[in-house]
Amino acid sequence: MSWLTSTVWKIPRAGTLLLFVGACWVAPSAAQELRVPESAMAGQAAVISTNGSGHATFYLIGPGTSIKREINLGEDVHVAPESLEDSGQYLAIVCSESCGSATFYVQPSHPASLSFLVHPSRVPDNQPDAVSGVAFPFDHFGNLVLDPLAVTFQAAGPKEKLFAREVSTRDGVAWFRTASGKSVGPLHITASIGPVSSPRVIAQVASEPCNLRIKGQRTAKGILVETEPVHDCAGNPVADGTIVTFNASGDGEKSTVDAPIKGDVARALITDSGPVTISAASGVAMTNELRVGGK
Amino acid sequence: MKNMTQRILRRLSPVIYFAAACLSLLLPFSASADAPTVLVHLDVNKASPRAVEEQTSRRILADYRFAWTNLARAVETDTIEPVRGQFVGSAGKWVAETIAAQQKAGLTSRHINQNHKLTATFYAPEGDVMELHDDAQFHLQVLDGSKLIYDQPVVMHYIVLMTPGADRWVIRQLQSVEKF
Repeated sequence: MSWLTSTVWKIPRAGTLLLFVGACWVAPSAAQELRVPESAMAGQAAVISTNGSGHATFYLIGPGTSIKREINLGEDVHVAPESLEDSGQYLAIVCSESCGSATFYVQPSHPASLSFLVHPSRVPDNQPDAVSGVAFPFDHFGNLVLDPLAVTFQAAGPKEKLFAREVSTRDGVAWFRTASGKSVGPLHITASIGPVSSPRVIAQVASEPCNLRIKGQRTAKGILVETEPVHDCAGNPVADGTIVTFNASGDGEKSTVDAPIKGDVARALITDSGPVTISAASGVAMTNELRVGGK
Repeated sequence: MKNMTQRILRRLSPVIYFAAACLSLLLPFSASADAPTVLVHLDVNKASPRAVEEQTSRRILADYRFAWTNLARAVETDTIEPVRGQFVGSAGKWVAETIAAQQKAGLTSRHINQNHKLTATFYAPEGDVMELHDDAQFHLQVLDGSKLIYDQPVVMHYIVLMTPGADRWVIRQLQSVEKF
């Protein structure tokens, strides 16, 4: 490929013709001819051939590479693998009396690692489309591998295998979205291409409380009211620290107590002495009403 | 006296308008005489699975343009400073290596009259990474010291990965390809 064919021109057709005629006229005496590799892979050596005789300066300019070397025209220029680690377009230039150039592309090598982004880090159980992941395959030199590759996504909860899905990369990216599992605990998600795999772990936690119920009794200090063990709709105990709000109303007065769940149960002491009606709520769940008579 | 002043002003007004028009045309050039011209057009209509919000689109456009403006400065002056914080990960390594290699070889390069047609092709479900395709056209000059060794208009195709940083979108991958 000569520099005439490898350089991209953005000029009208008539201009192209004139340019071509002009270039043909000057080419034999002026520009150096270079033969660059038709296909090259990242991290592999390449050979660039030159025509003519005498001394010249060879340049190779590419992503992460700028080489300047004195050469003898007519001899092959050997480019070391470490100079061709980044994939992309490389520009080879040879200058003696005048300069000639040619471009070639270095393709990414084989996938050696997977960049795998998974969201969120904590997910409530039993939620549709709650977990998503994106995988990018990279070669040993950090080039994005753009050829279509089959990425296998697998997810397994503490008690169940959630899914296994094969997705082909498109322009170097594959992704999935799925529902969270029914049980709480670590959710192991893996993206793999052959022997290359990238594991991630996210925490599956209980969702909002479901079917909240309270019970209570009057004591010497007031009314001790507590919830029954608080579970989400999948039957998983709701995380400690989740707030339950107790409301008490009686004798035209209302009082509110916020209490965190501790060991599956939230407790509160209502200091009302008269007859009261107590209820509680957490998230979207509301309890039964509890009526307690006066002292 | 007042009438005379008004008459003079009326006569001079076309000249004043003409001078103002010339000045307004010249000002952008004088203000950006040392800044490379970088035009970026962004199309987000093909982005999926997440749609790109208007504000994100504006941010990407500005940050990509800023990054290329500074990249042009960096490779022209062989200094890493202009691009610090805008290219990270593989792209950051690539830019740093390019500048170091240019310095070693005594080369500089100029990216003149850049025109980037940027298309967002993938926007992650959680909005934490975006893939874009850039059809870039610019005039590339390569200099060995002060000697011009390459001077051609070029068309390049770049695969770009951008992620949101603390205060801007940063370029994580900038990889030229033969075609999309």
